[in-house]
Amino acid sequence: MTIAAADWQALWLTLKLAGLTTLLLFVLGVPLAWRLSQWQSRWRHGIEILITLPLVLPPTVLGFYLLLLFSPNYASGQWLSQLLGGPLVFSFGGLVFASVIYSLPFMVQPLLAAFNTNGQRLSQAASALGMPPWAALLKVVLPASRAAIVSACALTFAHTLGEFGVVLMIGGAIPGETQVVSIALYQHVEAMEYGAAHRLALMLIGITTVLLLLARWLGHILAPRGSTKESLKPATGVWG
Amino acid sequence: MEITQPLFGTDASSTDSAGLCVEGLVTSLNATTPWQLILPASGVFGLTGPSGGGKSTLLSTLAGQRRCRGTIAFASTVWQSGRRALATHKRALSLGFQDSRLFAGQSVADNLALARRYSRRSLPGEECDQLLRDFGIAPLLHQPVELLSGGEAQRVALLRQLFHNAPLQLFDEALSAVERAQVLRRLLPTLRDFWTRHPALVIWTSHDFDEIQLLAQRCLWMECANLSAPMSLTEVARRLEANALGDSCRSRIEARVESLRDGLLSLDLGGVSLYADRVTGHYRNGDTAAFLLDAGDISLSLEKPGLSSILNCLPVTLAGKQGLANGRIRLQLTAAGQMLYADISRLSCERLQLRAGTTYFAQFKAGSLAGL
Repeated sequence: MTIAAADWQALWLTLKLAGLTTLLLFVLGVPLAWRLSQWQSRWRHGIEILITLPLVLPPTVLGFYLLLLFSPNYASGQWLSQLLGGPLVFSFGGLVFASVIYSLPFMVQPLLAAFNTNGQRLSQAASALGMPPWAALLKVVLPASRAAIVSACALTFAHTLGEFGVVLMIGGAIPGETQVVSIALYQHVEAMEYGAAHRLALMLIGITTVLLLLARWLGHILAPRGSTKESLKPATGVWG
Repeated sequence: MEITQPLFGTDASSTDSAGLCVEGLVTSLNATTPWQLILPASGVFGLTGPSGGGKSTLLSTLAGQRRCRGTIAFASTVWQSGRRALATHKRALSLGFQDSRLFAGQSVADNLALARRYSRRSLPGEECDQLLRDFGIAPLLHQPVELLSGGEAQRVALLRQLFHNAPLQLFDEALSAVERAQVLRRLLPTLRDFWTRHPALVIWTSHDFDEIQLLAQRCLWMECANLSAPMSLTEVARRLEANALGDSCRSRIEARVESLRDGLLSLDLGGVSLYADRVTGHYRNGDTAAFLLDAGDISLSLEKPGLSSILNCLPVTLAGKQGLANGRIRLQLTAAGQMLYADISRLSCERLQLRAGTTYFAQFKAGSLAGL
């Protein structure tokens, strides 16, 4: 079984895109979810809906408007390309930008759920012991939300891995720049190269399976464990 | 609006600049009955009253975790003025919650270390080790908090607050899930010792009046969002009875410490020596110690009994008697100006022909003096 150099390139690009998107979204998603969980305003629901929108919107709709947003024919596109030092349409930078928006709910929703149930209670307890808000977040709320963080990152990574519609709309299929695995796979099928398509598909199945196993394993080792209480308690009881 | 710095910091015009001063405090719960409260800078105060009366609301409002209006000042620093409030972590306080709220995903030791790290008056290491032993937490130190039982979690949460050692300490049903015998025999004496050595203003909220009787001298009463000024424990006992909340079958008695040897504490009550065994608290001669005596543990005789294994024999005067629903008779007795109750059967009462104003001899075992 041989895999063409272009397919390796597509695979590498896909992993790079998914990794970078997950990293960026983690850095953006934690403060965003934290602010949202603390915010007691009716605007909060509006923002939450806006963040959830990419979850239900057809990727082509999102891709179409991102294409217009990035277009050098409009002021927004010119400003963005100046800001980021290059055009966003048909470029890797554009893919990262789009993926961050597209996968936003997959990072923010699990974090928000964890912060809403546990974060508020624990940050109150932390501040009632003199801890400033940033310390409460870093030292109390995030360690308590480890399982949610793992699942948020795994979901974001996996979701970006399979991205198709948005990439097609704004990235096209430039090898080494915007041709991700799902696009390359599509092109192989179009060209009736079923052997190459199978190889890429199997590779994606393998990667996602490993990813899920990894997330489960991490969830397992992060779960609270310890020696059983019975073995730690002295036989006569602590109070003798 | 949150104030980032104590900008209206020191305020000399405050009525009690050293302690806690609350004026016209209004929350959504007590829109028509603003809370007023003036407490000294140190001392233990109980807070009790019927459920749903607003006790927890008062505590979270003092901690700045609930929207309110009014004035709160502590130790010359204004915490709340009108609608402007100082953030919770900038207030020199600690607040315990009914549901413990241990920091999940961390061990007991991590929880305690965090509390100590953000303390403004950190406890010495030896003191912490001693507390760990007294609370029976030492064997649990490396346990993740998720694996603790309800009682263990409460003890860790309480200890976390002691490690933080804030000048104002607010507790909310801190020991409700801990086994009662441990509370009376070990934890309450430890707490009393601790606050003697590290004075703080403590508000101890509990439905268990025994806890309050053993820790505090005075008690606040909260009912239907009405907060009383600090009142005597006798008055609180009367109110609890009126609300059918308490069964005042335990009497609180104060006596002077004579000596403490091998866990046997000798106390002086109006010239009579009383003995308590298996004592865990630390006492110095001349200290005043408070203990509880269960009405069912007292027997009464007409004449001074001879030598017996029952160590305590106290001359008492019968002040009154009252029939109980269960057919027993509750006697109100006085000794050295203090009131105590004894429950006896109707048959005993008829045989002894008890009359008010007469002196009898109350006997009780050394093990029945609880909370020492």
